[in-house]
Amino acid sequence: MRKHTRAALLCVAAGMATALTLTACAAGKGGGANSDAAAAPGKDDKITLTVWSNYADREYEEVTKALKTFNKKFPNIEIKHEGSQDDDKITAGIRSGNTPDVALSFTTDNIGQFCSSGAFQPLKPYLDRDKVDLGQISPAVRDYTEYKGNRCAMPMLTDVYAMYYNTGMMSEAGISAPPKTLDELFEDTKKLTKKAPNGDIEVAGYLPTMGFYANRPTILAPSFGAEWATPDGKSALSTSPGFTEMMTFQKKLVDFYGYEALERFRAGLGQEYSADHAFHQGKIAIMMDGEYRTAFLKAQAPQIKFGTAPFPTWKPADYGTAFTTGTIMGIPKGAKHPGAAWELIKHLSFDTDTIVGLSNAIKNVPSTKAAMDSPKLEVDEQFRTFIDLAKSDKLKGNPVTPIGDAHIKAVTDFAVAYTSGKVPDLAAGLKEVDKNIDDQVAKSGK
Amino acid sequence: MTATLTKPPVDVSTEPEQPKKPRDTRGILTWVATHALGLVLGLMFATPVLFVFLTAVMSDDQAFTSDLWPREWHWNNFIGVFDKAPLFQYLFNSLTYSLLATAGMLISSIPAAYALAKLKWRGRNVAFLLVIGAMMLPPQVVAVPLYDTWSSLGLTGTLVPLIAPYFLFDAFSIFLLRQFMLTIPQSYVDAARVDGCSEFQALVRIIVPMAKPGIAATALFCFLFTWNDYFGPLLYTGEVKEQWTLSLALATFKGMHIVQWNSAMAVTFLTMIPAIILFIFAQKSFVKGITFTGVKG
Amino acid sequence: MTATLGARPAPGRGRARARHRLTVLGFMTPAIIGFVLFFGYPLVATVVFSFTKYDLINAPEFAGLDNYAFMFKDPLFTKAIQNTLWFVVVLTFARTVFALGVASVIARLKSGVGLIRTLCYLPSLAPPVAATLVFFMVLRPNGGPFATVLGWFGLDSPLWFSDPSWAKPGITAIMLWISGDLMIIILAAILDVPQEQYEAAELDGAGPIRRWWHVTLPTISPVLLFGIVNSVILALQLFTQAVVAGSAGSGSADSTGSTKYLGFPDNSTLTFPVYLYTQGFRYFDMGYAAAMATVLFVISFAVTIVLVQRMRKGSAAEEGGPGA
Repeated sequence: MRKHTRAALLCVAAGMATALTLTACAAGKGGGANSDAAAAPGKDDKITLTVWSNYADREYEEVTKALKTFNKKFPNIEIKHEGSQDDDKITAGIRSGNTPDVALSFTTDNIGQFCSSGAFQPLKPYLDRDKVDLGQISPAVRDYTEYKGNRCAMPMLTDVYAMYYNTGMMSEAGISAPPKTLDELFEDTKKLTKKAPNGDIEVAGYLPTMGFYANRPTILAPSFGAEWATPDGKSALSTSPGFTEMMTFQKKLVDFYGYEALERFRAGLGQEYSADHAFHQGKIAIMMDGEYRTAFLKAQAPQIKFGTAPFPTWKPADYGTAFTTGTIMGIPKGAKHPGAAWELIKHLSFDTDTIVGLSNAIKNVPSTKAAMDSPKLEVDEQFRTFIDLAKSDKLKGNPVTPIGDAHIKAVTDFAVAYTSGKVPDLAAGLKEVDKNIDDQVAKSGK
Repeated sequence: MTATLTKPPVDVSTEPEQPKKPRDTRGILTWVATHALGLVLGLMFATPVLFVFLTAVMSDDQAFTSDLWPREWHWNNFIGVFDKAPLFQYLFNSLTYSLLATAGMLISSIPAAYALAKLKWRGRNVAFLLVIGAMMLPPQVVAVPLYDTWSSLGLTGTLVPLIAPYFLFDAFSIFLLRQFMLTIPQSYVDAARVDGCSEFQALVRIIVPMAKPGIAATALFCFLFTWNDYFGPLLYTGEVKEQWTLSLALATFKGMHIVQWNSAMAVTFLTMIPAIILFIFAQKSFVKGITFTGVKG
Repeated sequence: MTATLGARPAPGRGRARARHRLTVLGFMTPAIIGFVLFFGYPLVATVVFSFTKYDLINAPEFAGLDNYAFMFKDPLFTKAIQNTLWFVVVLTFARTVFALGVASVIARLKSGVGLIRTLCYLPSLAPPVAATLVFFMVLRPNGGPFATVLGWFGLDSPLWFSDPSWAKPGITAIMLWISGDLMIIILAAILDVPQEQYEAAELDGAGPIRRWWHVTLPTISPVLLFGIVNSVILALQLFTQAVVAGSAGSGSADSTGSTKYLGFPDNSTLTFPVYLYTQGFRYFDMGYAAAMATVLFVISFAVTIVLVQRMRKGSAAEEGGPGA
């Protein structure tokens, strides 16, 4: 027995030693952080730039086309675009030293982590060296591409969120203009909702349920004037009146429908990423969604006549505000050609024709003022709303945290609990969520 | 003793119990009840798979809506997916992964299962515990240190990290094979030893033929698990599209805000076809039960 | 002779024993190597990570017991454990009994066996994400086939993946539907039961049900216990189906099984592996995820030991039993 025990202990010790060594090696891989701007490639340099993104199918084709426009400036650089790479892959790549030169991510929620951990290289040296004018990009969009003053990403197009309304149903209900305030929204909801004789909901004016489709607290926050953080960086859910109003408004709507009936109705609605979307089917009259929905509606549900407008706000002075987020581009730690990578990012961030072309192709909002003003930009009546909102100074960007989307989940969970009647004391409840979020941020140590 | 043992195992094809023609009412009722139940079960199981097929032939707009029956039958969806993704390449990779992994599993797991089932040695119980314990660690967490190791060996972007482990250790298969081998009467093994076989010969000549149903079942599961494995290939071959398996092809049919459900379901259905064919052939192996006549005297 | 049945007869004892050991070693070597590489090493690494702060990008920093301390403060941790334990109890029982039931029925079929068998196995051939999504469609409360059938009896369909109380039963239903693999294993074992045991029981006057209870079940018990352990492990590692069901329930189903809203509805589908994955790969806190994994492993291993003890009792009876 003693022989076996000793052998076993030796094995464990060897295992631990190996484990620690290998992990330390792997974790430390990917090269050191660069504090200097790497030189731009020469006109004749033959390099292969690897770009990873999560695009697939048709959007992948369009983005590849846009990437290739880079060759006008650098004809000898070959761009290899790998699609269907999500953030997990990017992180794994950085750990293993097998990173792309440019990473495109859909998840702005990870920017806090990417910037603070060095996963995306700081871009300040490049911005300073090339004297880049960030003024082309609106402050809200700049907000969601940096963390605590450390800019590690640039936006590639943006998404802006606003209200969609079914014009046919509006005129049927005798509503002459889309609502501008929450009170109007509530009244209009009541008028637009249709119920069957047995009480089942057939059409919902506005579906409030948090977490459903694009009803995310981050997207709704600007309309309520809700602030996510206090000046000293703590979670502000209980102190910002906007959040209390958000919850109260939610509950008012849910109570109007009846929680059970609303859930039953909602469970039967189509999926967000299908042609069965409730708005396409005329089952909801008003909703919040991003600018991309215009293209889908035109293609999949031409029979639905719709209009777009800024989402109603709590305080009239806030009207014209909107939420923005979008795809981000960064240079991952350990990229082999950071200089060339920066040139590509710069090109995609500021080259007006490229941005306009891509915007027309995948129907996202351009990220620079110049592109938004370009006559080549295809803007129809419904899309114009989003462009105007993107230019406004009331635009609000996705709040950046080091805890991914944990804060969004915490608020969504709370909203569901509150609207289903499980939370007796709203203020106390919000305080608890604040504490939870603060704990998580503290845990992340960033 | 020897005479009984060298009697070849009786091959009972298809039905296990000798059918007694149900002449009495009770028998007929039982027959009807059992078969009705069987039919209901079969339909219940098959219906959702039917929906995969039905969704696959729907138009872009109708796919994944609440409609159950296609308005139009877009048979060319099945052809269309081949244009959108190099499915034959993916098929080849899937076959490589699954076939090699299954082969590796058989080579490494059968002896280990036998050692755990039929050989006596100190530490056997601990070893068995460890085998089961190995299945208890969440794969997502195991992946991190393993991925780092494979990347320092430069083998990410290939199917090697997926296939290699099967040539050494597959806890599920070892466990399952052990359980099947346990049902083989010890007497066969002992008699073989008395006859002078080495353990290896006993394993190959006696145990493996007897455990054929179990081995066939285990091989089938290994194949199917690797066939439908999504996260493994995603992690290790994700950035090298030429190495993608069929399961990853599903990632091709979505955009940022839209999913092409009909194409995704078409690929799903096509992915299932080789598996179904394999199953139809393989089930003959383990349904053909081998009845032990036991050892008398 | 009977007492030492199973042990090698040993004249020249030392040499024979050495040969025996060598044989065992030969048979087990690949498994041992694989075990150390693919399990031992990751396990040790995981435990080591659990005492660190590790964001997957930079080297891990020592953090003592911070991760474990946070578990007590974390409401989602508690919810995740509750959800997974629910599955361990309910899914294990349901899956084993269901697979046993279906296999028993198929074993008795005289005609159309091959067809029914294939139909019952079909779902487990489907890729997990697709299988879950399709089943989600089947269970849809408004107009789905299941709801329609219920409607014939005048019953309202439960809201399944939109109702916190029904989401886990819904996932269980999905897992039952894809339990074809266990069903086939049990079927193979049922078919392996020696014919004469049935004959003997029939002579004793046992009807089909008593024969099933007294002959079939005991004989296939090693495989049944495999089914239980397998179902427990499945429940402990339930990930894909939970994520996909939650994503579909929240209205944003994706063909690749990712989700915008975890644990929908109301964290009822937040299983332990899902939460662990989120912490490690979405919130970049691998240290905490590793701590969670360690906890899961310890609990699971304890459960394993209990189950294996039972199995050893079962198989000890086996080896001394019929056929000896």
